[in-house]
Amino acid sequence: MLQLIKIEWLKIKRYPAFWWMFSIVALTYPGVNLIIGTIYNHTLVRTADKKEALSQIAKMLFGNPFEFPEAWHTTAYFSSFFISIPAILVIMLISNEYTYKTHRQNIIDGWSRQQFITAKMMDIVIISLITTIIYTFVSVSLGVYFDDGHLARWAEQLQYIPLFFIQSFAQLSIAFLLGYLIKKAFIALGVFLFYSLIVENILVSYLKWKLQTHAYKFLPFEMSDELIPVPAFAGGFGKDMRDAYEAAITAIPIQLVCTLIFTGLIWLLCYKLQEKKDL
Amino acid sequence: MHQILSVNNLSKQYGKIHALNNVSFNVPQGCVYGILGPNGSGKTTTLGIILDILKANTGNFLWFENNPQNYKTKIGSLLETPNFYHYLSAVNNLKITQAISGRGNENDIDEVLETVNLSQRKNSKFSTYSLGMKQRLAIAAALLGNPDVLVLDEPTNGLDPVGIAEIRELIKKLAQQGKTIIMASHLLDEVEKVCTHVAILKKGNLLVNGNVNEVLANEDIVEVSATNKKTLIQILNTMSGFTKLIEEQHTIQLFYPQGTAQLDAINKYCFNNGVTLNLLTQKKKSLETKFFELTNN
Repeated sequence: MLQLIKIEWLKIKRYPAFWWMFSIVALTYPGVNLIIGTIYNHTLVRTADKKEALSQIAKMLFGNPFEFPEAWHTTAYFSSFFISIPAILVIMLISNEYTYKTHRQNIIDGWSRQQFITAKMMDIVIISLITTIIYTFVSVSLGVYFDDGHLARWAEQLQYIPLFFIQSFAQLSIAFLLGYLIKKAFIALGVFLFYSLIVENILVSYLKWKLQTHAYKFLPFEMSDELIPVPAFAGGFGKDMRDAYEAAITAIPIQLVCTLIFTGLIWLLCYKLQEKKDL
Repeated sequence: MHQILSVNNLSKQYGKIHALNNVSFNVPQGCVYGILGPNGSGKTTTLGIILDILKANTGNFLWFENNPQNYKTKIGSLLETPNFYHYLSAVNNLKITQAISGRGNENDIDEVLETVNLSQRKNSKFSTYSLGMKQRLAIAAALLGNPDVLVLDEPTNGLDPVGIAEIRELIKKLAQQGKTIIMASHLLDEVEKVCTHVAILKKGNLLVNGNVNEVLANEDIVEVSATNKKTLIQILNTMSGFTKLIEEQHTIQLFYPQGTAQLDAINKYCFNNGVTLNLLTQKKKSLETKFFELTNN
């Protein structure tokens, strides 16, 4: 396993797109969260001057979403919007192997067919780890930056770190599957973006509002999106919203099990195909 | 002698097309085994199957009959095209080959690059290489760590005449060192010059295989010539034993059933009948002749 990771690292470390992805993620995660955090705090401060009561209610209800412990949840939620950035890299990494025909050469040189898939899975584990580390760093920084006396509660919602990792891994696994099956980077990327940003959102709305079912929670991306529910402050006021939020938090373990099974099936499919097909 | 590779009844279909039909052959240790055939005859398919990147529909193959574990790491291969990471240099590409195959070490990388004359460009990206240089790098990758078996698919593809001669010399040298080389080619001349064994494929069927001398020499050809060609032909026509006489531009070819041509007898007969020969030699049938004979009908 370690040997596989070493070899993948030889491929990745001089690959410009990898460093581009790394830089863009390292700028996007803190940037987006900082902007949203600042806007939220400004709005709160301005309304505090005019409508003391409303802001007090808001603060009472939600606290500052960028303070500990909510910071873990909030930054995870906003960072997770940008999964398509590492997804581009994941798709490039597999489609490159096809373009260069190294998916054959690696096997000819000595890897078993399964080892090739394992090595690719390790790539995705590593990329998910990198995004998780950047996310963790952003959460800590913003938690400290926006702190208003809750620093001691920093350790309360640490579960969002592994949840963020699993969400990244699950969604990047879908990107890998598309790249692995489609082979052409641009088509795979197109399908990934079109489905994840447009088709699934339409499906979610249709199932949720039109058919009034919970089936939307089991769509490929929504399944793992539900691991990090919409934070309380973004969900709006009212009892219905509070109930929905509580329900979403309670449902996390079920979503987690579903996500793990679904992701497991994706990799099982890749292993089975790799075993049988002509390379 | 050990069989390095046994191939048994391999068949492969792509949809309706039969790329390979029940192909079987054995590759003995230490031979240079040429797999010949016109384009689309199944050469690369055969090599793809024995290197585990294509799946045969039926049949099987066995590498190193005594010790088949991790067979791929004992084989240096070049299949079809040079496959490398375009954004990496020659050295960094070979580091990956080395790490995956476990053949050789970092010092060997410089050595093989020296062998194929790529040392000067070893730190240039693969994407900047010419076709010939890419082919040289692929040969370097196959040679890395001095494997006992080499599988080479069209090894001289894209090389200039000097490069072709160099590779041919290299293959001869490796064969002398006792390496087993399995080589696919449609350049008959190339195969004839280096191979000890051949298999000829046509549309996925194995037409003939075995030792080069056995495959080619099913007829003895004797070439003779004399100053007065007309008289020579008259004399020869009175002689018995040969099956066919062909008049070439400067020489005359006599065909005999295998093993029946006796040069001294021919010489004596001609001399006794007043013709002095200025050429008398026994020829192997050229691979090209044999190849056309086999693949045209």
